[in-house]
Formats: sequence, structure tokens, C-alpha cells
Amino acid sequence: MATNPMEQFEVKTIGPKIILGNIDISFTNSALFMVIVVTLITIFFTVSTQKKSLIPGKLQLLAEMIYEFVAKMISDTAGQDARPYFPFILTLFLFVLFSNMIGMIPYTFTVTSHIVVTFALAIVIFFGVTIIGFLKHGIKYLELFVPSGVPKLLLPLIIVIEVISYLSRPISLSVRLFANMMAGHTMLKVFGGFVVSLGLVGGWLPLGFSVALTGLEILVAFLQAYVFAILTCIYLNDALHLHH
Amino acid sequence: MDIEDLKKKIKKATSNKKSDFQNRGNAFGIAMRLGTEFVAAVFVASFIGFYLDKWLETTPFLMIIFFFIGAGTGILNVVRSSKMINKD
Repeated sequence: MATNPMEQFEVKTIGPKIILGNIDISFTNSALFMVIVVTLITIFFTVSTQKKSLIPGKLQLLAEMIYEFVAKMISDTAGQDARPYFPFILTLFLFVLFSNMIGMIPYTFTVTSHIVVTFALAIVIFFGVTIIGFLKHGIKYLELFVPSGVPKLLLPLIIVIEVISYLSRPISLSVRLFANMMAGHTMLKVFGGFVVSLGLVGGWLPLGFSVALTGLEILVAFLQAYVFAILTCIYLNDALHLHH
Repeated sequence: MDIEDLKKKIKKATSNKKSDFQNRGNAFGIAMRLGTEFVAAVFVASFIGFYLDKWLETTPFLMIIFFFIGAGTGILNVVRSSKMINKD
């Protein structure tokens, strides 16, 4: 019986070891679950939009609800100008949501519980948003760091603060998702371990906790995907509409 | 007439339910943001300070200064996020 609560986060290679130059690019369980996530999303949307009936069936309704949910989120937070970025945000939301949810199934691997994965997503968003901002406003985008109505004396300090605030975005974005997922899964495993070690006599209390925590974790899995997507929208909004 | 009444009823019921759920979800989601918002700013600022120190050989003064600037930035981030909650 595995009792180490951190063991579930171990990345193991599957199949042969592939080394390209200095980089180990072997296929790992993390990569496997990313493939599973992407395949599941693709299958889900192909199957659910197969019929295209006017009165949607259950699957089609679910797909339409997800579409409308994300579309509404984008138009609420970033406005109509952000419509071209809808595919990216939908993909992002679905990837995070599905990897969180698949991670809730016992014996699976949670891709988003690794900071490499979440930070890679966040840094892509960070650079993407910055590039969009510069393409849209040119050098004027730097005005983002100079809020209006600040006394000249304080300006250097404010600019430093604004730059740090801007740079902290990818960190907070990635750490939030990673920390929530890792903490939740560790906690589940710890309580699961209590059930085993306390046995038939005292194991019922932690078992109850485990059940409750599983419910909470499913909520967190959804919310973190939602927060990740909505923050992307907010950053996009800052880049598209330059005002503070 | 009947159908109009029913429409109104449905609209009322669905709008109430939706907004309540969404509000609660939103508030919880945003509340979870605040912690990391603060920590990330402190972390990034200290990191910048650390490397500026290394580069300019002024260890440890810049790091200390940037730590406090980072704390200030963190507070600013939190205030901004909570302003956004109040606006909604």
C-alpha cells in the first residue's frame, strides 16, 4: 500500500528513453495524460456536434452550454474586441478543466498539479497578451505602467510597482492553479491513508472527510479552470483597452 | 395569455437561479485569487532584487528594498482584485 502522499505526483517515463541532444524527451505519464485530455475533448466535441439538431440532445446541450459559458465570459470581461481570441480561451479552459477533472479519478495523474505545465500555459498567455498589446497600441502600450493622476515625485516608484505587478501575473496565475491542485490531491491522499491505518475502528471519520473533500475538490477543479480562463480574459482586456 | 404568463414565470425562475449560483461561484473564485496575488508580487520583486544585487554587487540592500516594494505591489494587487469584486 502506497502511503507516501506525494508519490502520486511522480513523473515516470513510459516506454523507451529518448534523448535529443541534452534534453530528455521520453514519453512520460504526464505526457500520456495530456494526450488523453486532448483526445477526450476532441472526441467529446466531435460526437456531441455530430447531429446538429435544432432541439439539442443531452450531449449537444452540454457542448452548447460550454460554448455559451465561455462566450459570455469573454464578452462580459473583455468585450466584443476579444472575439477573435475565443478559440484560444475555449481551448485553454477545456484543457485545464478536463485535466483537473480527470485527475479526480483515482489512479490517474493530474497534469495541472505540476508547476511546469501551469507555468508553461501562463507564460504563453503572458507573452501572447504582451505581444497583442504592443501590436495594437505600439509603444503606447507602455502607458499601462503609468497610471493617470500620479504626482511626478512618486512616478518612479509607481512605475517600478506597476512593472512588478505586471511581471507577477504569470507567477500568480500558474502558482494558483498548481498549488490548489497539488494541495487538494495531497490532502485527499493523506485522509485516504488515515482510513487505512485507523482501520475498521476509527477509519470512519476520515472516510467521511474523504468523501466531503472529494466533493470540494471537484468544485475546486471547476473553479480553478474558470479562474484561469477569466484571468486570461482580464489580461486580454487590459491589452486591448488601454485604461487603468 | 397563458403562454405569456408561463414565459414570464420561466424567465423569473431561471434568472434568479442562475445569478445566485454564478455570484457565489464568482465570489469564491475571486477570493481564492487574493492569496497568490500577494505572494507572487513579493516573490517576483525579491527575485528581481536578488539578481540586481548579484549584477551590481550591492548584496543585500537592493533585495531588501525590492522585498518591501514587492509587499507594496502585493497589497496593490489585492486591492485591485477586491475592487473588481465590488464592481461586479
